[in-house]
Amino acid sequence: MTDDLLRMESIVKTFPGVIANDHVDLTVRRGEIHGLLGENGAGKSTLMKVLYGLYTPDEGTIRLDGTPLRLDKPQDAMDAGIGMVHQHFKLIPRLTVTENVVLGSREPAASFRKENVGDGLLAGLRTSAPVQAVASRFSLGLDRPKRRIRTLADQYGFNIDVSAPVRELDVGQRQRVEILKALYRDVDLLILDEPTAVLTPVEAERLFETLERLVDDGLSVILITHKLKEVESVTDRVTVLREGADIGTVDTADVGRAELARMMVGRDVLFEIEKPNTTVGDPVLEASSISAADDRGIEKLSGVNLEVSAGEVVGVAGVSGNGQTQLAETVAGVRDPTAGTIEIRGREMSEASPDEFIEQGVSFVPEDRHENGCAGGLSVMHNAAMKDFRDDQFGDSVLFDYGSVGEYASRLVDDFDVRGVSDVTDNCADDLSGGNLQKLILARELARDPDLLVANQPTRGIDVGAIEFVRERLLERRDQGTGVLLFSENLDELFDLSDRLLVMYEGEIVLRTTPEETNKKRLSVEMNGGGSKRVSVPDDPPEAATRRAADGGRSDR
Amino acid sequence: MTDTSFLLGLADAMVSASTVLVLAGLGELISERAGVLNLGVEGMILVGALSGVIATVVTGSYWIGFAVGSVCGLLMSAVHAFLCISLKADQAISGIMLTLLGTGITTYFGQQWASAQFAGFPDRTLPVIGGLLVEIPIVGPTVFEGPATDFVALGLVVVVWWLLTRTNLGLEIISVGEDPETADTMGIDVFKMRYLAVLIGGLLAGAAGAHLSLAFTGIWTNNIAAGQGWIAVALVIFARWRPGRLLVGAYLFGLFNSLRLRSQGLDLTLAPESPLAALLNPVVEFLLNPAIMSMYPYIVTLVVLVATVVWSRDDDSAQPAALVQAYSREAD
Repeated sequence: MTDDLLRMESIVKTFPGVIANDHVDLTVRRGEIHGLLGENGAGKSTLMKVLYGLYTPDEGTIRLDGTPLRLDKPQDAMDAGIGMVHQHFKLIPRLTVTENVVLGSREPAASFRKENVGDGLLAGLRTSAPVQAVASRFSLGLDRPKRRIRTLADQYGFNIDVSAPVRELDVGQRQRVEILKALYRDVDLLILDEPTAVLTPVEAERLFETLERLVDDGLSVILITHKLKEVESVTDRVTVLREGADIGTVDTADVGRAELARMMVGRDVLFEIEKPNTTVGDPVLEASSISAADDRGIEKLSGVNLEVSAGEVVGVAGVSGNGQTQLAETVAGVRDPTAGTIEIRGREMSEASPDEFIEQGVSFVPEDRHENGCAGGLSVMHNAAMKDFRDDQFGDSVLFDYGSVGEYASRLVDDFDVRGVSDVTDNCADDLSGGNLQKLILARELARDPDLLVANQPTRGIDVGAIEFVRERLLERRDQGTGVLLFSENLDELFDLSDRLLVMYEGEIVLRTTPEETNKKRLSVEMNGGGSKRVSVPDDPPEAATRRAADGGRSDR
Repeated sequence: MTDTSFLLGLADAMVSASTVLVLAGLGELISERAGVLNLGVEGMILVGALSGVIATVVTGSYWIGFAVGSVCGLLMSAVHAFLCISLKADQAISGIMLTLLGTGITTYFGQQWASAQFAGFPDRTLPVIGGLLVEIPIVGPTVFEGPATDFVALGLVVVVWWLLTRTNLGLEIISVGEDPETADTMGIDVFKMRYLAVLIGGLLAGAAGAHLSLAFTGIWTNNIAAGQGWIAVALVIFARWRPGRLLVGAYLFGLFNSLRLRSQGLDLTLAPESPLAALLNPVVEFLLNPAIMSMYPYIVTLVVLVATVVWSRDDDSAQPAALVQAYSREAD
């Protein structure tokens, strides 16, 4: 009993039309890393926002150290010793690290602090309540916090300049600032909401080392995640949520990955995907020596040749920023090439508008699903019909038949298992969690029976259940004769799904191979520019080589 | 020498004319740093100016008039705060509405006060050290001799700078203007901070108005603000939301404003026997025409805004990130 730090009992939180938490229990022991596992939209973040005072629960009790807590605002949670590192960092880029950490704590200037005042007549005045109230508002002492933050940073090996503005820090450093914010407030319990979503594998490894040290120092940690690997490698116990319900809490050591996946998704999850052989048809995409620039006008794609045929999946590997985004956008018709030609099903499309690409049977799943994949403020219905609204089934050329559009959208939502939608006209795209939004986008793109599907990072940041679903659908389309161009940073995914593999490096295709002919190690080497690229790309046009030589020293990204 | 006295007079007029802009601009700056755009400054200046005159005539004290004018500006900004912060109405529409309202109210109630006589703020020097400071050549008589409100405005530049950069309150005001959601998670009452900033802004806009009628013109005339509230809004952008630069900007605008008033005695036309006279004199006369000259501050505003946008393209971060964004907690 005494080693239970936190007990959340029977928490219920409903939003209009959705039960986000349905009688959820969560007990966290002192000094453990406790995983909170669930798919996107399972209610993990809601539960933690309840614990952090951002949401008020409809029912249930929260006890910390046996004392019941009433959390109306984040300040209450902070006062109780609960800190949270949000998935989207709560930092103000303009302010310095120190300012971000002390924000809200109202540290008065040094001359008003009790230990500096000494004795005497004025001392009593300076420590009196009204003077302190004024000093805490109209002065600001950063020297002492700065020393303390520096000490904390050194203690955990964070290499951070505490006087630097946060906008100058990289993502990993920003996350460490978030942790410092919590440590500065002497928290007993630290909540991390999907902390590795924004980190590289190396940074994630560092984060976990930090967490181990925090726990050694007596802290308790709640780790929200949908990555089974993280749960297995760092947590002591794990609580699983599914569709708002509490599935149970288990010792991580006692269960395997498959068991956890079953708890999380509610059925067995296939980690291996079966890929039947199909016959490859005519080319649907033929791009020859296309070049393209990014939004700032810097060339990112240099004379790439590419062919995708009906019924095959062509996977493109590469370290982020090597021109994959530009290649995807160019062949999907949303970015104009600066040179070269693009043919879709034999028709020259280099100058064509995005609209003509859509008409020609090209579907596109963009990398940033919030920014480019949907109109967040519009309803699920509008988003579902966004590319097909001119179709005859949705009314004549003047008037829209919202009845049939609604039915169409509802059908897509059902077919693609998009969760969190109670009404396709009431819910807007921004209401959906990442995985469900991705399913909706995929539904929109696949329902059009495309001849070419360009999918950029279709499974990034979504949970295992949704990943499996998306992959199955991609292969299903391939079997039905769609040519799929798949961009992914996940090599397992590329090896599982692709019929052919391409590797991009600095705007060029440096390797063309098949999953059978190569291995991940070889691919990693090529992705980092370590391959003998001139030899392995015999079909690269010679002008690309000269262009590379011409701006060889370029260091842009 | 007449040239020196002209320049001295011009500098003096520039400093006097800038005070309205300094006061109103500082108010707007604080409000915008907290994320609330206030386009009602013009209306608040007008209301502050008229109520200041009325209170001065009734009580006989220009200090009471100044206080009443400031409070009336604050009351108007309370409407803006309630609409934009509590009701989350569109900030631009609410502000423009308040300017139109202020213009209407002061036009209607101002008629009978247009000829009112009263004793406004006299020119004076600072106590104790004022006698010494005023001896400084050029700067002395222009900056250190004037109505008390000039000194109040100069002092407020320092106070506002101190508030925003050296106090917890300032840090919190900036944080709600940058990212209200983050401020909220750090335990800062976003609504309270924004109300505070908007009310301070209104108070200063009202003070600008009261200074205008009680110290600068010494009389109430219809539409006395003549667009200076709008210039104050532009000035904040020009100043990149920094109080020190705001003072420089206010002097620049004050210069063009006083040029108009002072240049009428100035004859820059060339002598008739000069070969260029026929060509240039019509141009000079056109440029010195009082009606044309009264447009200079506004033309400068446009030019400066364009220049600010062109030059500071990489400095977009100067603008508060959450400007014009309403905040509600469960919206995420």
